[in-house]
Amino acid sequence: MSVRTSSSPSRFPLLTLLNPGELTPVLVVALLLGILVGVLQMAWMGWPLWAASATALGVVLAPATLKWRADRRRYGVLVMVLSVLVAAQTFHGLEHLAQWIQYHILDWPGSRSSGLISAANAEWVHFVWNWSVVLVVIYLVRGGMRNGWAWLLLAWSVAHALEHTYMMVRYLQVNWELEKLGFQTVSAQGLPGIFGRDGWLARSALTQGVWYCQVPGLTTAPRLDIHFWWNVGETALLLIAAHTFLRGWFNRPAANS
Amino acid sequence: MSSHLRLLALVSGCLCGLLVGCSQIAPLAGRVSPPRVAATVPVQVTTAPLAAPPTCLNQFVPHTLPHTTRAHGDAVHLFESNGAGVAINDLNGDGLQDIVLANLDGPATLLWNLGDLNFRKESLPDEDTRAVNIVDVDGDGRLDIVFTHRTASVSLWRNAGPDAAGEYPRFVRETLPTVLAPAYVMAWGDVNGAGSLDLVTGSYDADLSLALGNTFLFSQGAGVYYYARQGDGFVPQRLSAQSQALAVALYDFSGDGRPDIVIGNDFDSPDQTWAHEGDAWVSRVAFSQTAHSTMSLDWGNIDNQGQAALLAADMKPYSLDVNVIARWLPMMASMPHSLPKHDPQVMENVLQIRDSQGRFQNQGVNRGVDASGWSWSAKFGDLDNDGFLDLYVVNGMIAAELFGYLPNNELVEENQAFRNTGQGRFVRAPAWGLGSTASGRGMSMADLDNDGTLDIVVNNLQSPSQLFENRLCGGSSLEVELAWPASRNTRALGAQVELHTSMGTLTRDVRSGSGYLSGDTARLHFGFPDGATLYSLTVRWPDGQTSLIDGLAAHTRLFITR
Repeated sequence: MSVRTSSSPSRFPLLTLLNPGELTPVLVVALLLGILVGVLQMAWMGWPLWAASATALGVVLAPATLKWRADRRRYGVLVMVLSVLVAAQTFHGLEHLAQWIQYHILDWPGSRSSGLISAANAEWVHFVWNWSVVLVVIYLVRGGMRNGWAWLLLAWSVAHALEHTYMMVRYLQVNWELEKLGFQTVSAQGLPGIFGRDGWLARSALTQGVWYCQVPGLTTAPRLDIHFWWNVGETALLLIAAHTFLRGWFNRPAANS
Repeated sequence: MSSHLRLLALVSGCLCGLLVGCSQIAPLAGRVSPPRVAATVPVQVTTAPLAAPPTCLNQFVPHTLPHTTRAHGDAVHLFESNGAGVAINDLNGDGLQDIVLANLDGPATLLWNLGDLNFRKESLPDEDTRAVNIVDVDGDGRLDIVFTHRTASVSLWRNAGPDAAGEYPRFVRETLPTVLAPAYVMAWGDVNGAGSLDLVTGSYDADLSLALGNTFLFSQGAGVYYYARQGDGFVPQRLSAQSQALAVALYDFSGDGRPDIVIGNDFDSPDQTWAHEGDAWVSRVAFSQTAHSTMSLDWGNIDNQGQAALLAADMKPYSLDVNVIARWLPMMASMPHSLPKHDPQVMENVLQIRDSQGRFQNQGVNRGVDASGWSWSAKFGDLDNDGFLDLYVVNGMIAAELFGYLPNNELVEENQAFRNTGQGRFVRAPAWGLGSTASGRGMSMADLDNDGTLDIVVNNLQSPSQLFENRLCGGSSLEVELAWPASRNTRALGAQVELHTSMGTLTRDVRSGSGYLSGDTARLHFGFPDGATLYSLTVRWPDGQTSLIDGLAAHTRLFITR
């Protein structure tokens, strides 16, 4: 059951949705505090980057939850869910951007370019995350976010999740084989997926000699780049789909039900 | 909603198109008309028919040879794990090509070819041998045998002429007086154009360091050496003080028509390259990307046009199969990942092909040869007589330090055969029956039964050597042997031979060795499809002179004497 407000029409409805309003000072203070605590943890206690980042994220999460509660009261569950997804996917995209910067700008080796929360750079986290996105997008589409961009977003996120499913299956299979060899600590984390260098598309007998093996990146890019672009596409489609949906949503007459 | 369905259909259509839209790399056109050749030097040409091929089976037939390369002790440790090489050539001039197999814990083996793939074994008491070449070192017209060693320099087994019975040559072990530096790899050729054989060697410092301990630090002689022939001796020139050489190639990367030097180094030591500049050797950066742990170097004209491509073999799983990946992962996890991001080295086979601007590009992935397992000897040869060079790679690893978690400390892999499609790519050819799981190291190709097809000999580690008899069907061939008795380069090492046919120009060159630790026969093999017209043969001798031979017939051996 949704409750639409009589908020004035907006040219940038996403900004309207994401605007923390009266919670802005709390969020800014929480963010600064989180960063400060994280930096101090790294400097004084020798914590790794991922632990400091997780602490900062945890500090910000409290006021963010308050903001989403306010969204629920103001716009209803559907829009609140969209608000959460936009924030979470944007953060997820930033995590991949951080990896990309570490690898391409800072020239870190690929094995170290794990983003801000490297502990979360695990196969099962990616798998659960991407299928969660798919489920949420389906929920949003069923709830009314039906536009061309939303359908494209759904197709994109399903394709992305399918690649992670392929990777997850191989991860489990290889780990199983490693266990049989007596290895508990060696992990199959980081194996290529369908696209990119040494991926299925590049190595399968079915695809040898086909034209797309010549397309730069599709069968040659490292995994880090492949998933950076997956998330760039997913985030961009989400933002456009949300913008299109919210423009209609906010411009509709207020109603109570 | 219908627009949404159309959108979904569009996306699905794109994905389906991605998966089924097969368009091969455009075929490369060959020359189809006979070329004109400038003035030639006179040669004497004789021919002999090749034997009728046995019933074809569409695959290779494996035979076991009476030789096993063994490491010292019960378990195989680094770097005995690197095994030893093999060389093929006609040592007694009876028209049958003989085999020499190097060894570690035991003598080397000479297998005299008696015909019909029967061999008589003779031991050569030279231990800890690595590479082997069969070349006429002293220019007396008789082929000699040369070995490199784990910690020593080369040993020469000089062919002293027929034994008392006059049946087989006697070989006398000698050293080359000024060739003193430890040598793991070697290449012979008329590098300076003086008409005699020069020598290039490279050391494998990791093995030296392990074997010699602290004394290695104070040794003088490791690295890359160029030995120029001068009279009866050699004049050494040290090109590099260090090397981790597993392969060497006298490959003309500078394109000036003279052989340059390429050293393939193991570990993260970059490959080394030197080109002529006047009479001096100058270190050059020839390639923008190279293999990380270069195990083998070979070159060949894979599309019958332009310049020969250079293949450097490396270590990379040949399959995405979970069993294969799981066996590699623990070893990979134990290796340091310290290569800078922009390091030109990549851990996969690298195929260097010149682009239209003259720069080398790594085409290993695009041509389908980037992964062949823990590769050792990798060589080109027209195995199916279709006019295009195929590729065979032997692989596998045994080392207690690396694979202690696998049975017998062994990474068991299937050797990989790649068929050249003739359209710019290679595809795996498991049906050829070359997927032996023995741990192959040295490997060489030659027609051992004179039936016009290339057979393969593999020197395995810890298991008997193998001969793979070629029983593939179809195609024909021409085999060419050069002799230049008036020079001290009596087998014309370095000569380029072009066979002009209705399907294009096929190119081969005479060399002492290639691949990993392995010597090549001086008898060149040209395969071509049944029905191809043979126009002429051009020989570009090492001194730049050319000879033109016509009136060629398929399925013959050609002896060309200058």
